[in-house]
Amino acid sequence: MSGANIDNEVYIVGGGMTEFGRFDGEDQELAEQAMREALADCGITWNDVDFAVGGTNGETKPDNMVARMGLTGLPFITVKNGCATGGVALMTARNGLIAEGRDVAVVVGYDNHARGAFAASPARYGIGGWYGETGMMVTTSYFALKIKRYLHEQGIDERTLGYVSEKAFDYGSAHPLAWRRKPVSVEEALESDMINAPLTRFMFCSPDAGAVALVLARGKRAFELCENPIRLAAVELRGRRPGSFEVFSPWLSPGERTSPSIDAAKAAFDAAGITPDQVQVAQLQDTDSGAEIIHLGETGLCANGEQGAGYLNGDYKINGRLPVNTDGGCLANGEPVGASGLRQVHEVMRQLQGRALGQQVPNNPRIGFTHVYGAPGISACTVLVKEGANS
Amino acid sequence: MSIQLVDASLFASTDPVALQGSACESCGAQVFPAASSCPMCAGVDVSTVALPTEGTVWSWTTQNFAPKAPFRTDEFHPFSIGYVDLGSVIVEGWLLHKTEWVIGEPVRLALAKAWTNDDGTVVHTYGFEAVS
Repeated sequence: MSGANIDNEVYIVGGGMTEFGRFDGEDQELAEQAMREALADCGITWNDVDFAVGGTNGETKPDNMVARMGLTGLPFITVKNGCATGGVALMTARNGLIAEGRDVAVVVGYDNHARGAFAASPARYGIGGWYGETGMMVTTSYFALKIKRYLHEQGIDERTLGYVSEKAFDYGSAHPLAWRRKPVSVEEALESDMINAPLTRFMFCSPDAGAVALVLARGKRAFELCENPIRLAAVELRGRRPGSFEVFSPWLSPGERTSPSIDAAKAAFDAAGITPDQVQVAQLQDTDSGAEIIHLGETGLCANGEQGAGYLNGDYKINGRLPVNTDGGCLANGEPVGASGLRQVHEVMRQLQGRALGQQVPNNPRIGFTHVYGAPGISACTVLVKEGANS
Repeated sequence: MSIQLVDASLFASTDPVALQGSACESCGAQVFPAASSCPMCAGVDVSTVALPTEGTVWSWTTQNFAPKAPFRTDEFHPFSIGYVDLGSVIVEGWLLHKTEWVIGEPVRLALAKAWTNDDGTVVHTYGFEAVS
């Protein structure tokens, strides 16, 4: 590890995750299951936890999880930042541990969404009712408009979208907690029902149910709780600047494009003292197949435009240069919004510890990266390091 | 004669049709619809402006399924939406009369029927049509 004071380092020492998919029950049942699994994973009980952070996009109150887990008097912070909720929860917990000198935190994210695409209210986003009434308040058309432009600018073949889907459902089919476990071929993905051109039915993730919890520990305590703790080398959150292309935008500014993902990824790499080419396993927000392509470029994990050849070469598959979304990502797991970002971190933690639930990245990867991105233009990225990697 | 519009504040005029945006006195940025402050430079000195009515397709897609409420239509048919580069600002809107487009294709602003109210009044929105 770096020469920093270990008392200011935060590690992931345990994780728990429910199966993702349709769930016929209370979302907080899922959260409780994930939290109890995470505690058991590092051999502690709720009484050992000093601090907790929870996130959901639903109506329940995460801080009321204390009613299920135990009224120990611990501070429990609730966050709600859409698709970036998991990253924000993780950042809040890490900062709380360091700032307040606490030792052990639990982070939980959960949701249980109704079927179908999210229905968004224009008023909640400060847009007039006309935007929804004329059919433009639709997340899926935004994804299509964004990837259409990106593929055009970068000269990438639209068929690349089919390769993203094939990879996702291949890894989902190998993962015992994934929702979609049926492989889909490139041709099937490209030829299935068109939803918003160029994106077909097999190129979107759907809202579903699931929960993930992680146990974080600071300094030496981490090594008492876990044989191979994963250092949270960086977690950075950024918002949009002029020039970003966000969902529910009746207008865009001409000129240079920016992105909160570009900014958050760069900040995370800088804070960790690691460069994108050192990453050996990554999780990227893949709400649709196009998003994975865009986010590979925006995070710096590849050069913009390189993705077309990259997918053809299998660069982002389990045996490739940089395995991406090794649990099938959002495409195969669906997106319980509050849980999704923590699912990414859970998967990378297990990959770095050599105990992947699905396909394991070979050759002992030591450096991982995660990226969430969502409305109204925020992104959180983490750099995760298996100890000994950077010494 | 007045035309029923989805939101009159979107339009600087309807004959000829023009969209109304706002321009920042400090940085010059134009946005749509008109706003009371400038998101680009955080300035608060803005004034309304009629936006250019011709531009090129910046990106496009098709809406192949009927969106959930509050979407309104008399009868759903797949339609196109896109972003149109007007030079000073890129505006999102319907792309009219066809569902296959090319990025860079020239288009111009037009009024389009959105839905019919219970009393028979036709409500209009804006869209862009190919320049033939």
